[in-house]
Amino acid sequence: MIASVAFQRFKALRNAQLVLGPFNLVIGPNGSGKTSLIEALLRLRLLAKLPLRSVVAETERTLEGPEITFRFSPPFDGLEARLSCVSDQVCDLLQVAPRPKGEGSNDWPGLRSRVLRIRGYVLDHHAIAAPAVAKEGAELNASAGNLAAVLATRQAHHPAAFDRLVADFTRIAPEFTEIGTELGEDGRVRFRLRLKEEDTWIEPDNVSQGTLYLLAMITLAHDPDPPSIVCIEEIDRGIHPRMLREVRDVLYRLSYPAAFGETRTPVQLIATTHSPYLLDLFCEHPEEVVISAKHGATATFSRLTDRPDITEMLAESPLGDMWYSGVLGGVPENE
Amino acid sequence: MNVALLSESPADEAALRLLVEAVLQRPIRRIEPALRARGWPNVAQVLPAILRHLHFNTDAHALVVVVDADDSVVHAADHDRPGYFHPRCRMCQLRAVFRQTTKKLPAARGRERVLRGVGVAVPAIEAWYLAGRDPEVTELAWTEGQQRGRLPYTRAQLKYRVYGTDRPTLPHEIDCALREIRRHHGDVRRIEHDHPGFASLARDLRGWFPGPVAFEGQSGKVPVTDIKI
Repeated sequence: MIASVAFQRFKALRNAQLVLGPFNLVIGPNGSGKTSLIEALLRLRLLAKLPLRSVVAETERTLEGPEITFRFSPPFDGLEARLSCVSDQVCDLLQVAPRPKGEGSNDWPGLRSRVLRIRGYVLDHHAIAAPAVAKEGAELNASAGNLAAVLATRQAHHPAAFDRLVADFTRIAPEFTEIGTELGEDGRVRFRLRLKEEDTWIEPDNVSQGTLYLLAMITLAHDPDPPSIVCIEEIDRGIHPRMLREVRDVLYRLSYPAAFGETRTPVQLIATTHSPYLLDLFCEHPEEVVISAKHGATATFSRLTDRPDITEMLAESPLGDMWYSGVLGGVPENE
Repeated sequence: MNVALLSESPADEAALRLLVEAVLQRPIRRIEPALRARGWPNVAQVLPAILRHLHFNTDAHALVVVVDADDSVVHAADHDRPGYFHPRCRMCQLRAVFRQTTKKLPAARGRERVLRGVGVAVPAIEAWYLAGRDPEVTELAWTEGQQRGRLPYTRAQLKYRVYGTDRPTLPHEIDCALREIRRHHGDVRRIEHDHPGFASLARDLRGWFPGPVAFEGQSGKVPVTDIKI
């Protein structure tokens, strides 16, 4: 949905551009702009909630402030959205303008409805394990802290989707056979998992962090009405390197529904990782990998496939090893 | 027979087990099912440690290793001449690692060494899966394409032909791999004919026995007790 993002003076992204694809795995050292990219998308969503302001003349804007320009893919490639500042302190100006070419140049309402469905996730296992308010189960929140409510809602209103979710989860985590939910008198829902070997239920606070993150991602991937764009930080967190293939496939389900026999609109995905093992899994699709590099206080983005020698490099070594070695960039700078 | 398998994914391992059993014409007992490599050159890097571990700590009779050739030099008959080693041929490299590692190890657990089974799928294991189904996909077609500078297909195309998508899930990959191997009903001669990288593996496996190992329906099976160890 978002075709490209261009940054000016936004944190470490002093002058950076990035063309986005359906699935984008962003790698790079700490402080190289990965989170800033996600933050920019979430800021676009936040400001899109407000009524659109009329075009502000350049003389009325602070030209030294941050500026982020979004372009979109069809059917909204006729529009451009720009986030900028009206003063040194206030950077809440969203302007949407038609582009010389492209579709949907007068369809900000259509684009806005998609922008409002951008979601960012930083999964939190403590929050995931906690009981959730039952009525807050329509969609997963940023920490997945309402997972229990989402599971209960899914089970009640989309039983087929819930069954697919359970089937996927129990296949990937075969030590479990079932996901159960229970509504308490306090109006909160709890979930628990049935252990295969002992045939007993286990509470989520006794389940490993990685398993909880995996369950949250699977729940998201099987959402019958998923967000338009999903941004997830550190998708490898807490998960064994051998299970990362499953993580990749769970997220591929969002971005490439047709490959999974689903007919819904693809979800654009932006994920970050620091795992070379996860990166290894993208050797057949290097176009999905974005490298964020930091030079001093300035960060930039590039696609792995921007490198003219990437085919030859992929023949030499696993992608993760090459990244670690530094030949791909996206590693911490030496003194 | 106790056999350890080393490849790059659970799908490869599932298919490999069927292939090994088809060549040996008997079921194997899989040792250390958790072995896995991260692709080339990681396989060659971890192989010495794996061989040592299997030799001293397990009852494995043999280790079967299968890797994809990718764009490397394809093993050829002239690589087999005594003392020859092609530094860019993965078959030569893996055999050398086997040789150099096992010769340093003293006898242990009632056997001199862990037996070797090495196969190289050209350019990827999906080519083996397509044997007998897609006559265009052969090792010869690939090597001729390499010589001409125009490859007959890409690895991505092979995967698409097998899995029907370029992003298969693991269960789908396993299902497809097993379906394709089972299509041969235990007779792997077609795969051997079209893919010398598999024929080399089959020769290694048959070399574990003093007598010929027959195809299904033929005589010549040898009892498990005759395994050379």
